[in-house]
Amino acid sequence: MGVIVKEFDLIISANGTGVVLKIIKHCHEEGAGGRELVQGVLLGLVDKNRLEVTNCFPFPRHTEDEDFDEVAYQMEMMRHLRHVNVDHLHVGWYQSTYFGQFITKALLDSQFNYQHSIEESIVLVYDPLRTSKGHLTLRAMRLTPAMMKMYNEGDFTPEKLKVSSISFDSMFEEVPVCIKNSHLINALCSELDEILPEDNQYNFLDLATSNTLECNLRHLMEGVDELSQDANKFYNYQRQCVKQVQLRLQKKEQENQVRKARGEPLITEEELNKLIKPPQAPSRLDSLLISGQINSFSDQIKQFSSQSFGKLFMAESLQDHSCKE
Amino acid sequence: MSRFFATGSDSETESSSSEEEVQIRPTVTQRVIQWDETEEETRRVVKSQRDKRFDEMKDMIKTMRNHKKIKDMANILDDFEDLGKAYEKAKKIVEKEGIPRFYIRALVELEDFVIECWEDRDARKSMSKNNAKSLTILRQKLRRYLRDFEKPVADYRESPDEPGMIDSEDEAEESDESESSSEEEELVVPSKSKFAKTTEAGNEEEEDDLDIWGSDTETSSSGDEDVKYTGQLTADYFRKKAPTEIEVDKSKKEEKRAERKREAKDKVESGDEEGEWEHVKGGAHMIKEKPKLFPKDAEINHEAICKKLRELISGRGKKGTDRSEQMELLYDLRNISKENDLGDAVYIKVTFSIIASIYDYNPNIATSMKSEVWDKCLTTIEEMLDILIANEDTIICAEHVEYDAENFSGPPPLRIRGCPLTVVERMDEEYIKMLQACDAHSTEYVERLKDENRVCTIIDKVDRYLEGRGTSNELCRVYMRKISHLYYKFDHQAMIKLRENKQKEKDVEKIIPSFLSDTLTTDKTEDKPMESRVIMDKLCKYIYAKDTTDWIRTRAILCHIYHHALHDRWFEARDLMLMSHLQDTIQHSDIPTQIMYNRAMVQLGLCAFRQGMIKDAHSCLVDIQSSGRAKELLAQGLLLQRQHERSPEQEKIEKRRQMPYHMHINLELLECVYLVSAMLLEIPYMAAHEFDARRRMISKNFHHVLRMSERMTLVGPPESMREHVVAASKSMKVGDWKACQDYLINEKMNAKVWDLFFDAENVRNLIIRKVKEESLRTYLFSYSAVYDSLDLELLAAMFDLDRPVVHSIISKMIINEELMASLDEPTRTVVMHRTEPTRLQSLALQLSEKVSSLMDNNEKMAEMKQGGLYQRQGGQGYQDDQRRQGYKRDGQGGYSGGYRRDGQGGGSYRRDGGGYRRGGQRGNYRDHGISIWRIDMFLSSFAVL
Repeated sequence: MGVIVKEFDLIISANGTGVVLKIIKHCHEEGAGGRELVQGVLLGLVDKNRLEVTNCFPFPRHTEDEDFDEVAYQMEMMRHLRHVNVDHLHVGWYQSTYFGQFITKALLDSQFNYQHSIEESIVLVYDPLRTSKGHLTLRAMRLTPAMMKMYNEGDFTPEKLKVSSISFDSMFEEVPVCIKNSHLINALCSELDEILPEDNQYNFLDLATSNTLECNLRHLMEGVDELSQDANKFYNYQRQCVKQVQLRLQKKEQENQVRKARGEPLITEEELNKLIKPPQAPSRLDSLLISGQINSFSDQIKQFSSQSFGKLFMAESLQDHSCKE
Repeated sequence: MSRFFATGSDSETESSSSEEEVQIRPTVTQRVIQWDETEEETRRVVKSQRDKRFDEMKDMIKTMRNHKKIKDMANILDDFEDLGKAYEKAKKIVEKEGIPRFYIRALVELEDFVIECWEDRDARKSMSKNNAKSLTILRQKLRRYLRDFEKPVADYRESPDEPGMIDSEDEAEESDESESSSEEEELVVPSKSKFAKTTEAGNEEEEDDLDIWGSDTETSSSGDEDVKYTGQLTADYFRKKAPTEIEVDKSKKEEKRAERKREAKDKVESGDEEGEWEHVKGGAHMIKEKPKLFPKDAEINHEAICKKLRELISGRGKKGTDRSEQMELLYDLRNISKENDLGDAVYIKVTFSIIASIYDYNPNIATSMKSEVWDKCLTTIEEMLDILIANEDTIICAEHVEYDAENFSGPPPLRIRGCPLTVVERMDEEYIKMLQACDAHSTEYVERLKDENRVCTIIDKVDRYLEGRGTSNELCRVYMRKISHLYYKFDHQAMIKLRENKQKEKDVEKIIPSFLSDTLTTDKTEDKPMESRVIMDKLCKYIYAKDTTDWIRTRAILCHIYHHALHDRWFEARDLMLMSHLQDTIQHSDIPTQIMYNRAMVQLGLCAFRQGMIKDAHSCLVDIQSSGRAKELLAQGLLLQRQHERSPEQEKIEKRRQMPYHMHINLELLECVYLVSAMLLEIPYMAAHEFDARRRMISKNFHHVLRMSERMTLVGPPESMREHVVAASKSMKVGDWKACQDYLINEKMNAKVWDLFFDAENVRNLIIRKVKEESLRTYLFSYSAVYDSLDLELLAAMFDLDRPVVHSIISKMIINEELMASLDEPTRTVVMHRTEPTRLQSLALQLSEKVSSLMDNNEKMAEMKQGGLYQRQGGQGYQDDQRRQGYKRDGQGGYSGGYRRDGQGGGSYRRDGGGYRRGGQRGNYRDHGISIWRIDMFLSSFAVL
């Protein structure tokens, strides 16, 4: 039945591997080894509380100045697909990622747009690098309702964040993904499995991990640097705020004295605001995104290392064993 | 005449209408010109601006006069206003020539008329309302207007023109004629008197003129002259007295005319009076025949020449003076003095004036002399100096001689005021200006450059002349000129000899014991005293000792440094630079000196590079090169400035500062040397500090160049010098010295850069050696982690170096703690100690540092939040306590709440904590105990593998 993502389970169905393979192929052909982002449209259907993705097609690549109407292209494509009797419900989009860097403003923007117009839209993030290491990495993400609401309001001041209690880990919710194939395909797969000669089975015991770790670490460092800068910005803002408070008190005092002398009503907050502009609060969105990104890096490293640990212990005992012999 | 009048009456009512004016003007001018030209009808003169304006005004005056007759006040007022406007238009001409007399007359007449009308009460009462009103306005306006003309009007009233003229019908013409005739009279009277009655003393005017040519016994005290002249100045005298004596006229106008008069007089003197002064009338610049200086039979003696000279000089700098003509006249004067055998002193005196007038020839500072003029200038100066040197004993020529102390005849010493040094200095400046002005790639430039020999000889001559005679200050100035022509020239001969000497020394030392070779070499230096080094030394040392003005010494030092550096005398040059302490003060000096400093610095850098002092070379060049404005800093061309446009004046000033092309330092060579030295320093450094977070760049410029090439999508084979260096750097990074060397030294680079050095082969060998050494270092830095031990022999073979060299390099690295290794002598290997963290470990270290700094930031934020909060709530004393409490709470793990509030992540905080702890145990990170921090745990365990 394909890949099924449901309202909270995603199932890539019908010929699930087909959809996945299409995405992989697209990345492989145009992604320049994962460095370039590739994107495409997911098609499928909603079935009660699960979302099935049954087909997909890529966005063609085009340069900035080229005049290209993406919407028209999508419509055209979907029309054609309908002619051949393919599900033509737009259920989201997919995107490739390089070392798991995907939590960006751009992704947030487009996902919001999708989810805003089609509520059950998801974004499928595919990591070609990790997949090539042997872990098929396909994550389905959605914006949480709280995030949707906040983004809709477009207000990312610290106070607002506090009120809506959104943190980096409550921006996105991950939807479990399940890949399902039709039985025929399953049968074929099993058959193929038997026919195919057994290749190097010990590939998964590969211990050369430093490269991936290094890359992850570098990205992590970049993230931390950015976050650090952002924190600095916020700190400056806070200092300004504190200064302002004092300044306002002073000013208020002065003004009130003058007004009292003149017999006018006391100064109001609004008037005071006019006199002293409160400092512009920096948007917390960046900080949210960076934090989220850092979190995902950490998770990746954690996953990667825990697997590697297993291998290591195994390798060690293997070595001990052979030594003893 | 009648025609003119007719047209004039046509325009009676609307005199200001421009259309009519257009019609009128040609006829009018025709007439006027005819008056001017008298008999010469055949000559048609193009109407000048002056005539046009004045005719216009005359026309208006005439209309006004007509209106006056019928007492049409309103129209008179209009006329008056128009006239005022016309006068404003003619302002330029008036400024040049003085207020025209007819205008003043018109004003005076109008004033009289108005007063008359005003006084005549009955008539006034009977006037129409309009007229009466106009009269009042006119009266007021006129009064106000006349305030500006008080003086000329008063002058006029004192000596009005004959009333008859005014009455005559065509007043305009008449007045013009009368004016011109009166003018002519001024001119004619003296000249006539002079020739007609040579001895008879007529009026004072005549007497003055007589004085000039007669004996100089009569001295009339003229207070106007500052300097007492032994003779009397005709021109000045004439000018001063004329206004009061001949005609009480507008003094201003008169003064303007003096110029013309003088010239006219010159012509009158020349004998044919008839046509000559007519010419003068036509305009000062219309002289066709070259005027003669002296009458044929006049006695020519020293005084006469001097007087004449002064007369000519007094025209200097005035607007009306024709500069080329003046020069011609001066030349004539000189020839006359020569013909009459008046002696060299006078000859020189006149020559000085000639040179001065040559310099004056160009009114604009920025433009340079023409080549003919320049040639003339050079010959004149040469001639003068030759005479001066020939008569060293008899003629004293110096600036301090007063004018009245000058003497040109009689017993020696003869004294002349004048400074040959200044003349020569100015010449030198002009020379540089000329070089700046012409295109550096044209044959013209080469032509000019050929003159340098002459310029140098002239400077030498001045030097010879001043030697022993001039003050030390003057000598310093001459020496500075000599130095500035010498310092940048490469003494090829000397360098070749030096090289041969070295070669010989080597050979000699093999055969003869050293004490003998000592004498040999000293001999060698003695028989070439003209080596530029010796000259430089002599000149500079004199300046160091004697100079009192700071800037000459500074320049001399810089030139000396430059010269040393140019000739590969690195230590002398460097010591001089360091001892002079110029680095500290140079930014306070004037811009040309700063340019000189930059040049010296660059030359020093190049010298250091040739000597193999890469580090010195880099530090010498980094200032010049890092700004990217080397061209501008060395005054070798203007850069386009994008931020702020320079004003035209600024640009002019900057252009004047530019170095002539033949003194340029090759910028590509400069950049190449800089980049290569930066590469040799930076690449090993980068390899050594790959993971150092606080790594500093040695050369920003070099990094910039590297980055630019990295950004390119496709890196082709190198074309330009820069690309070659970049390619070389890249191969050096991986320790591939052979490729690096090939990139640096190949035909292209030889032609572009290396062959420009005097001893190119040496420089190339040096570069190759350096490349090998630095590649070895880079290789060790980058790949030592891979090895357990390294064979010295193998390394030597890899880098094509001798084993002892490799040994010494590695030893140095070990001593400097750059390489954690030890040398194992018996096996001739380097044993690595493996103390450096692996790549992953150092990355993790870096990360932990970053995370801890992030946490600091966060803590600051949290503190601020608390502090700010409590500040608002409680008192100051309380606050501190509170904060500490809050801090403690945070320390226990209460952070996350706070962070959440800030929108920060609990997750990031979690790692922060870990990072912090990790910082604590950074020292023993190698014992990879199980760390609590999850990232860290994995990292350190991997580190072991």
